[in-house]
Amino acid sequence: MEELFASLVRDFADETAPLAQEVGGLLLKLEEVWATGGDPKPLLRAIRGGLHTIKGNSAMMGLSPIEGVAHALEDLCSQVETSSDSARAMRAQMLIEGCDLLGALIRAALAGKVDAASAEAFVQRAREAMDVGRSPRETPAPIPVRGETAVSAPASAVDAYEGRGMARIADRDVDELLELAGETIVGQTELARVHGRLARGQFEASDIALMDQLLTELGRTSREMRHKLLRVRLAPIATLFRRFGRFLRDLARERGQAIDLCIEGGETAVDRAIISRLYEPLVHIVRNAVAHGIESADERAAKGKPAKAQILLSARLREGRVQVCVADDGRGLDMRAIAAKANAQGTDTSKLSERDIQRLIFQAGFSTAPSVSNLAGRGVGLDVVASVVQGLGGSIDVRGASGRGTVFVLDLPVTVSLQKALIFGVDSETFAVPAGFVLDTMASREKNMQAINRVLLVSWRGDFVRAVDAGRLLGCQGLARAWARPYAIVLQAGNKRGALLVDWLSGVQEIVVKPLDETLATCRMVAGATVLAQGRVIPILDSVEVVRRTNVALLPESSQEAKVEASYDVF
Amino acid sequence: MSSDSSRSSDATNGHTETAEPLLAFADALLASSQREPDRTAGKVQQYVTFFLRDDEIGIPILQCCEIVRALAITRVPEAPDHVRGVLNLRGRVLPAVDTRRCLGYETAPPTSRSRLLVVEVAGRSFALMVDRVARILKLSAADITAPPEGARVRAAIGVARDGAATIYLTDAERILLQASAAEAPTQKE
Repeated sequence: MEELFASLVRDFADETAPLAQEVGGLLLKLEEVWATGGDPKPLLRAIRGGLHTIKGNSAMMGLSPIEGVAHALEDLCSQVETSSDSARAMRAQMLIEGCDLLGALIRAALAGKVDAASAEAFVQRAREAMDVGRSPRETPAPIPVRGETAVSAPASAVDAYEGRGMARIADRDVDELLELAGETIVGQTELARVHGRLARGQFEASDIALMDQLLTELGRTSREMRHKLLRVRLAPIATLFRRFGRFLRDLARERGQAIDLCIEGGETAVDRAIISRLYEPLVHIVRNAVAHGIESADERAAKGKPAKAQILLSARLREGRVQVCVADDGRGLDMRAIAAKANAQGTDTSKLSERDIQRLIFQAGFSTAPSVSNLAGRGVGLDVVASVVQGLGGSIDVRGASGRGTVFVLDLPVTVSLQKALIFGVDSETFAVPAGFVLDTMASREKNMQAINRVLLVSWRGDFVRAVDAGRLLGCQGLARAWARPYAIVLQAGNKRGALLVDWLSGVQEIVVKPLDETLATCRMVAGATVLAQGRVIPILDSVEVVRRTNVALLPESSQEAKVEASYDVF
Repeated sequence: MSSDSSRSSDATNGHTETAEPLLAFADALLASSQREPDRTAGKVQQYVTFFLRDDEIGIPILQCCEIVRALAITRVPEAPDHVRGVLNLRGRVLPAVDTRRCLGYETAPPTSRSRLLVVEVAGRSFALMVDRVARILKLSAADITAPPEGARVRAAIGVARDGAATIYLTDAERILLQASAAEAPTQKE
């Protein structure tokens, strides 16, 4: 019963959280429409619609605190239209806050603990705010400042609900995928028939041609299936960009600046995995643009720039990749400050081109902000941004025009192939092995090991697993010393097991898989490569091949290694 | 429970649609540093030349994407002899090709002048490790003669002369092919 409820709450959150986020975006838009004197009616209608759905959904779930907040917000909405300017600003702020609270409450509902007190407090304040216009005094309460409010202030709407990584898929696409799956099964059945004839020795001359054809078809259908599935993972990048509307609004308020967010190419479809990993780097770049780029209102006025600064987020497809730009119309890059900072750090900039000097900002420990404000200087540098982008298979570059602005350009793949992998080291080298094949990791001790007829065995849960020194298997420089490696990784591929003896383990992490060029087709034990932090490339092992090799590997007959082993005296 | 998903159109997001000036500015900045398409008309071709020991070798500039200083190279188990490993060029993983090995020179450790010549052939990219990058040469068909029998540079398809200097002309594909041909007999297990 509890499980059923939990799954219902998850469904509720999956649907309602994005809705709350959307309403938040609409509210920002509303503020703007008011500022520019447009017609707010369609927006208000959409906002009320969203709130109404949230209210209905939470009522169905019996989540009355959420229902109450949504209801109060609806009321505020209907009132806000007819409010005087001063009351309106206050109520708008109230609406935005309430929307944040909705998001927080929905997330809390997922965790099973909705904070009824904060909901009640908000509803109370909303009622008071609604009364303000009616009371004869007409003194609007001061706009509540974040942190002072009774509501346990949620970080912001930006701290968005990530959901369970769900993708929407059209029925038609499901049908097409099923059809392709059906084709592969038919192909497999046909191949099995040919295989049966082969096994019985009733091979027909035409079978070669038949197998050829079947394999070609299987290859085509599986590729097509992969292609279609990859498309399912795409989402418009606007889902990422939109989160910055709120982020910039808060940032601009905090600093007393006027900043406009422009979005271009929001419909560009990008892998969800990329979208979710791009948020942090973009936040950092946008923060940088505001902290370093955008001038104070006075400074802008003196330069004859419009008082309202602009930040542009744009995306477009270019040669099969996505180009994401973050541009601002601020003061541009301060070349002299960058060069001075580099010189102070011991880099000779006299021979560098202007472009190369600009790129220095991506180096570790580089920040030209003279003081640590709460914007820049958070200890995270653009070098980290660059390494995240690189980890996704992309690159980052910057261009500035003095006095006119700065553009950060991220060049990214449209899709990435992600995998969970265990990272380990042997001698001085580092490797990754897909986590799906890892049965166990353990400390390898001499007493757990045995050598019988040059076959090295390690005991694992009352069983013996053939083991091999990873250094020797992978051809690392350094003396093979299977008996002295402190850890063992037990792998299982199909019905076979094998253990790799390694020097260190560093846990499972999600990595971006990059295929290797065909010049490396001879590397049967390597399935691809990935880029770790600091831009280091490491090979990803092909578990199936590694397990196979482990099961045929023998200890060397007589070598320096054998002597080393003998000294352990294990028998 | 159902929501109206049709509301997620762009018109309803918290942003303005007045991006043109900034967009144009961003584009202009980007365009200023895009690689210029090669406009060398007709018969004149440009070559990037590099040295392996004392031999100057040229490959068409159109195959070259960029020249970079040393990058960390990760060894890949069981890589063919002429591939030293892989490197990370701004997020792309490229094989690092030991050009000396491909063309039959003894291998040598890198020096301060060593460079990686990033080339692209038929949609594949790799980095050629060279002793040093020399120059860019403009050559017309008339400047190029057939390589002499038993030329020192095995992959040469032409030879150009510049004063006393001899430049062996080839291309990135041939350099790789040369290596595969040399290693083929030894690759059988």
